[in-house]
Amino acid sequence: MNDVIINVQNLKKDYVGDVTTNALSGVSFDIRKGEFVSIMGPSGSGKSTLLHILSFLDRPTFGSYNFSGKSINELSDTELAHVRNFEMGFVFQAFNLLSRSTVYENVELPLIYSDISAKDRKGKVESAIKSVGLTEKTYIEAGKLSGGQKQRVAIARALVNNPPVIFADEPTGNLDSKSGIQVMQILKDLHAKGHTIILVTHETYTAQYGDRLILLKDGSIETDGPMKKTEHKNSFLK
Amino acid sequence: MKSNDAFKTAYKSLSHARMRSFLTMLGIIIGIASVILLMSLGSSAQKLILNQVQSVGSNLMFVIPGTPSGSRLASPASVQGIIIKTLVDRDLDSLRQEPSIEAVSPEVRGQARMVFENNDTETTYQGVSEDFFSIRDFNIVKGSLFTKRDVEAYNKVAVVGQKLAEDLFGARDPIGKTIRIKNSNFKVIGLLEKKGVGPFGVDQDNLAIIPVTVAQKQLLGVDYFAAITVQVKDAYNIDYAKQRVTTILRLNHRVTDSTKDDFQINTQEDALSILGDITSILTAFLTAIASISLVVGGIGIMNIMLVSVIERTREIGLRKALGATNNDIMKQFLFEAIILTFVGGIIGILFGAFTVTVLYFILVHTLSTGWFFSLPFSSIAISVVVATITGVIFGIYPARKAAKKNPIDALRYE
Repeated sequence: MNDVIINVQNLKKDYVGDVTTNALSGVSFDIRKGEFVSIMGPSGSGKSTLLHILSFLDRPTFGSYNFSGKSINELSDTELAHVRNFEMGFVFQAFNLLSRSTVYENVELPLIYSDISAKDRKGKVESAIKSVGLTEKTYIEAGKLSGGQKQRVAIARALVNNPPVIFADEPTGNLDSKSGIQVMQILKDLHAKGHTIILVTHETYTAQYGDRLILLKDGSIETDGPMKKTEHKNSFLK
Repeated sequence: MKSNDAFKTAYKSLSHARMRSFLTMLGIIIGIASVILLMSLGSSAQKLILNQVQSVGSNLMFVIPGTPSGSRLASPASVQGIIIKTLVDRDLDSLRQEPSIEAVSPEVRGQARMVFENNDTETTYQGVSEDFFSIRDFNIVKGSLFTKRDVEAYNKVAVVGQKLAEDLFGARDPIGKTIRIKNSNFKVIGLLEKKGVGPFGVDQDNLAIIPVTVAQKQLLGVDYFAAITVQVKDAYNIDYAKQRVTTILRLNHRVTDSTKDDFQINTQEDALSILGDITSILTAFLTAIASISLVVGGIGIMNIMLVSVIERTREIGLRKALGATNNDIMKQFLFEAIILTFVGGIIGILFGAFTVTVLYFILVHTLSTGWFFSLPFSSIAISVVVATITGVIFGIYPARKAAKKNPIDALRYE
């Protein structure tokens, strides 16, 4: 049990509006350090809600969630921000880069919130940019890059603080297949280096980079087990 | 997040939208420039007025009729149009015998149409004694001054200022000409040197000075004075002399209760103090009005910052996802507002100082006034402090709004 990094027990999330929507209804699972978990499900299955809670961007309505032994229910907003900064990396479908800032400035962003001095940041940023093969683009404005390059910048930003867990929300959703494969290969390499990868996707071929699949349907886990490399190829959206 | 990083982040965000940042600053620039300009004008006007008062002479006292009022700034009874007849010849004689006094000159004043041939002009005549010229340092450039004999003999002679001479005689020599004032003919015997505008706004070049006796009996039909100017001997302290004058006048007027004086004595010191207070109040008042534009500028900044917070909702969500705390976001947006107002303040100061300098050159070199250049350090310090405080006050609300955004709602914002 010592290598469990994420522990979720009976997690529920309701969105209260004119009509209360039950996005997650009692989800429980563990994720161990170094796992590559793909979370799949059709639209409205609750996969994005689950990822937001797992990445401390949102709080559950009910249930418990422990990340590295820290309970989400016991942490303040500031403490959640610190955990996101030091122990989590994020890769979004829409890249979420500051388009007027350079690649360097985008990758540097998490380190700024880590109170690391500008001098110490330089080496880390350059190393992260190098690891995604964009050294020659270091001082180019992020808005001028191609989609695949933008996502590689986002990955460099996610790993610059060397967090144990990287959350990827539909990382290939806005990319052509070639760029998508490149991005997934980088995530696979990061997994090989010991990072825990939690990937949310609706694409089977992307999900198959993972070694475990959690399939959600209507806010509940339908299946949770090792990835069978061809099992869900064309069937998960049925 | 370190403060220098917050500053750099804020600076970068602003420099990405240079035109908008400049337009946002415009309100502050105009507000600060107005404050600088008005404080400078106030200070220059104060210096000018005080300089003119000082130029009258520091050993002078002005006795005017009427009970001193409680407030230093209240106008004397004579100014309010109340005729008080308490200063008379006997007072003049008594004061002339006082050892601490060098000279005295009574004064009456009136407004009349002055005519020479086909030219006429409505202006001031001033009835004084022969000592007036030396006491008030009025010198002639042509002709002569009237004498004690002229005063005692009721001679209808006049010494005229440059402007009056120009209005009535044009390029002709005024000496020896006869002018008519209220149906009496006066012979012009002297032309005064140019004096400019006096400390109380009186144009000292546009008047006719005539013997007090003639003014009293022929023109005004009175036997009292509007004021007595007293020159104290250099060897005597002005406060001592003021005390002596008070005692003499109380004796003459049979005043036993010091609170019931029917005259007041103003020294140059009093005049300086009162005028200093008036100009200070006026400057403060004008500055307060100018400050309204600063508030308007501040609201402009708040408005733009609020729009910016909405536009950058996704950026705020991203920063929070990457580890920014509410405090970090608050700091960034607050710094943006402070940079806008601070830089706006600096530009406003430079713009204000430039305007003051241009105005000074126009007033001095083009209009030939005795204007003083004044750019008080206090106006600059106040402007910087006020601009920065404006930034903090009007930046807090948008910054708090940004900081309170829920990261996931912000990331989802379209």
